[in-house]
Amino acid sequence: MLRVTQTRQAFRLSFLAVLAGPILLCSTASAEDASNIDPGAYIAVTSDCVACHTAPGGKPFAGGLAMKTPLGTMYSTNITPSKIYGIGEYSEADFSRAVRKGIRKDGSNLYPAMPYTAYSYMTDQDIHDLYLYFMKSVQPVERAPPKTALPFPMNIRSSMMFWNILFRNNTTYQPDPSHSAEWNRGAYLAQGPAHCGTCHTPRGFLMQEEASKAFGGGSLGSWYAPNITSDKISGIGNWSQDEIKTYLKSGHIDGLAQAAGGMGEAVEHSFQHLTDADLNALATYLASTQPVRDPADGNLSRFALGRPVSSADRVRGDQPIRSEDNPDISGAELFMGNCASCHNYKAQGSRDGYYPSLWHNSVTGASNPDNLIATILFGVDRHVAGAQAFMPGFGGKKTDAVQLNDQEITKLTKYVFDTYGRPQVSVSPAQVATIRQGGPKSPLLVLSRIGIAGGTIIIALGCFWLLRTFRK
Amino acid sequence: MPSTLNSDVVIVGTGVVGCLIAEQALDAGLSVLMLEAGPRVSRDTIVENYRNLPPTLRNHWNAPYPPKPWAPHLETRTPTEAASYLDLTGPNAKAYEQGYVRYAGGATWHWAGICWRMTPDDLRLKSLYGVGRDWAFSYDVLEPYYARAEHAMGVCGPGDPALQWPPRTARSRPYPMRPIPFGPGEQRLTDVAATLGMQNLPAPQARNSGVSFDGRPPCCGNNNCFPVCPIAAKYDAATALPRIEAKGGRIITNAVAYRVETNAQKKVEAVHYYDPNRTSHSVSGKIFVLACNGIETPKLLLLSADDKNPRGVANSSDQVGRNMMDQPKLIADIEMSEPLWTGVGPVQSSSIMNTSQGDFRREYAGAMFRMENMARSTLGGLAALEKGLYGKALDQEIRRLSACTARLTVEHEPLPLPFNRLTLSDKKDWLGLNRPRIYYDVGDYVRRSAENYTVPLLKKLATALGATDIKISPEFLHSDHIMGGTIMGNDPSDSVVDADCRAHDHDNLFLPGGAAMTTGGSGNSTITMAALALKAADAIVGQLNHA
Repeated sequence: MLRVTQTRQAFRLSFLAVLAGPILLCSTASAEDASNIDPGAYIAVTSDCVACHTAPGGKPFAGGLAMKTPLGTMYSTNITPSKIYGIGEYSEADFSRAVRKGIRKDGSNLYPAMPYTAYSYMTDQDIHDLYLYFMKSVQPVERAPPKTALPFPMNIRSSMMFWNILFRNNTTYQPDPSHSAEWNRGAYLAQGPAHCGTCHTPRGFLMQEEASKAFGGGSLGSWYAPNITSDKISGIGNWSQDEIKTYLKSGHIDGLAQAAGGMGEAVEHSFQHLTDADLNALATYLASTQPVRDPADGNLSRFALGRPVSSADRVRGDQPIRSEDNPDISGAELFMGNCASCHNYKAQGSRDGYYPSLWHNSVTGASNPDNLIATILFGVDRHVAGAQAFMPGFGGKKTDAVQLNDQEITKLTKYVFDTYGRPQVSVSPAQVATIRQGGPKSPLLVLSRIGIAGGTIIIALGCFWLLRTFRK
Repeated sequence: MPSTLNSDVVIVGTGVVGCLIAEQALDAGLSVLMLEAGPRVSRDTIVENYRNLPPTLRNHWNAPYPPKPWAPHLETRTPTEAASYLDLTGPNAKAYEQGYVRYAGGATWHWAGICWRMTPDDLRLKSLYGVGRDWAFSYDVLEPYYARAEHAMGVCGPGDPALQWPPRTARSRPYPMRPIPFGPGEQRLTDVAATLGMQNLPAPQARNSGVSFDGRPPCCGNNNCFPVCPIAAKYDAATALPRIEAKGGRIITNAVAYRVETNAQKKVEAVHYYDPNRTSHSVSGKIFVLACNGIETPKLLLLSADDKNPRGVANSSDQVGRNMMDQPKLIADIEMSEPLWTGVGPVQSSSIMNTSQGDFRREYAGAMFRMENMARSTLGGLAALEKGLYGKALDQEIRRLSACTARLTVEHEPLPLPFNRLTLSDKKDWLGLNRPRIYYDVGDYVRRSAENYTVPLLKKLATALGATDIKISPEFLHSDHIMGGTIMGNDPSDSVVDADCRAHDHDNLFLPGGAAMTTGGSGNSTITMAALALKAADAIVGQLNHA
């Protein structure tokens, strides 16, 4: 039993790890405007298959995207119709079982980096269309991506069976007749193919989505997928449906929020290509979700905090001209030297909205500092409607032109929260270091190996005891 | 403690030339060690240095880069300060007040980012016009390296061949980014210049236009390229330093190279440097690259004179330190009755190039004309204050001077003249090293051009812009394009380096960059320096892989 428990824990933690990867590392491969293309292609865009199943600069759906997790590097698979390297030999039933049940044609389990728990809601018709699209419209790529080889014991795929027994949904979406067709369409998209809850719903003890807090906000890797319930303080209950729609379409609303990290990629690869009808349906559904309140938010919505304050007043006139960096540099000076040239000296952003204001901003008004830290470290790179929204990273990559250290990012983050957002938020260099390395490191490998070693010793002792007893 | 280090490739200097070669060598699997005389300072520190300067120093491009005592460079806040490092003599000493910085990242920290290629004719002055020298190779040889340099640095430029320079020549690759649009002042200049047959072209520039490049953001028009791009939208070599380190390169700062040591086989064995405690260290390697700019490179070679190399290292030809070039510049500060509105976009973003070519070059120099696109508010503010105005009248005058004034410049192509010479001054710097002494005379070729050609044309252009007052600088000024001091050529008896910037005298010593340039042309020198750097890098990698 000990072994089973340890393995199950291994999976709940590895789920966290592998979940973070694909969302953060999605490629920039773009999909065409989905409204004019065949229904299967549209489902593929809605489900955002391309994001994870395409390596940077690689052929669409040929896999090979490296997802660095605290447990090792995973690679997405080739899902082109190649008979040798892809899914060319899959029947529609095989395909359906892989997408909705997380089981490959050869019977082995997928890791839940593939969001099959959400895809399990997908209708037979959508699965059929998706299958036809992959088989008929996707170009086969005759190349194998690198194989995922997680270290022991994460390499035991079959242990996913236990997790599936507990948490996999086994029926397709069931329409709720008390709601409109539009609402049902939105609910289907959000819970099924668009898999919103995969990131936005917090996870329980065994890494299952906590149904009671659906869309209430969850951590993934370096980023935090915020509360998108209809709560007026913690969620997006004060957004108009037009705003929700505009946000999904563009990833940007002046004075409210801008998409980065996983959401930036979701807008880029998926939402911007959805039909207006589907975006309206999503907005309708999201406006009706069960509100979830985060006590940490008090009575302050993250969208309405802060005001324009000049940072120049705090730094001019008392500093010498330096020929080396000041180790005691203040947050205000870091802001002026690194941020103000684009976001402006009162953090008011630019008039055209390309550079957002840092007050009245979802990220600086949040109770959780992760997204501000992650944005400074990793920047923003969102391509929508042929235009790029870009902010450089400040040291998240070792190649970034400007490298801020953990102390500097701590001071800068705290200054921005204090001056332009939610002053109560605390930030530590350790938090910055954690986010820099991709989120909390899992102690799992050590734990599970200790557990397995412990189990092995118990079994060995048992055998020894039996042997002795037998000999007696 | 003195240390002894070793690397496949040892590069002295962390400017654009050194950094491009470092990356090429690292990509080829070679180990790289770089020495930088000055400190490594973060962008935010330099940006805040600039903003903390009093307005009177805002136009002193070196002011936000205070030098360390062991790595002095020219500062110009006072005449005494200006005389404290470069020891300049000759009729046009003022035209060699070169404003480079000895900081990690080098002078690209405060370059304009302008990337005019030289033309096929610029490389054949001797055979076409009987003046200057011919390069060791033709434009066709250089072209692929220009293209590689444009993609290495991220140069934006026009896709329309009619707007490309040089005209009527094939490009092997398009610019990686579209051009930056003209501001209102530049558009006006373009229209006015066209009436005089002068074509104002959108300048190719190492500045991200509308999109990111290499993880650096698009230009957002801070109009702050001099003295620092606050957001690294403009390429500068400092942006390459983290990438070099991520690839395994090692960078030692505050390390002042003072001697290049050769052995009996005429190979370079080591470079010696001082740290800030005046302790000497040495670095050995297989290939040595001196990329410390056109003044510091010849200075270091001359400083390295010993029994084996009595005239200095790489100097059997006696050409090290000779042929010092820059584009002698004249400026016209003009006032107009109508607003022109410079200041939208980068500080420089266009130039008139067709004035640099033609048969007249038998007699006098070609030249590039340009309007500075700096916002004029600081200058206008200072000038208005000097008039003793206050209140509403002051505000009005600042507005008027910001809108209705402009600076036109003309930069003349130089000839390589052996008497324009860098030698070792008997004056010493903080470390006890000889300071560079430079004799500079722009020469009759340039003077004739100014008299017969450029100054009359400059006045015509100013008048056509509606100038009511024109003040032309009384003497030639510097353009900060340091060229010629280790001149390239095929004949080892009258040149220092070969076509790959390899020293004729020492086959494991490379001297790439501006100093190798055989002629200067009228345009900014950096893109040619970068192309030569990549050509040298190919030779270095080839030489080490062959060995």
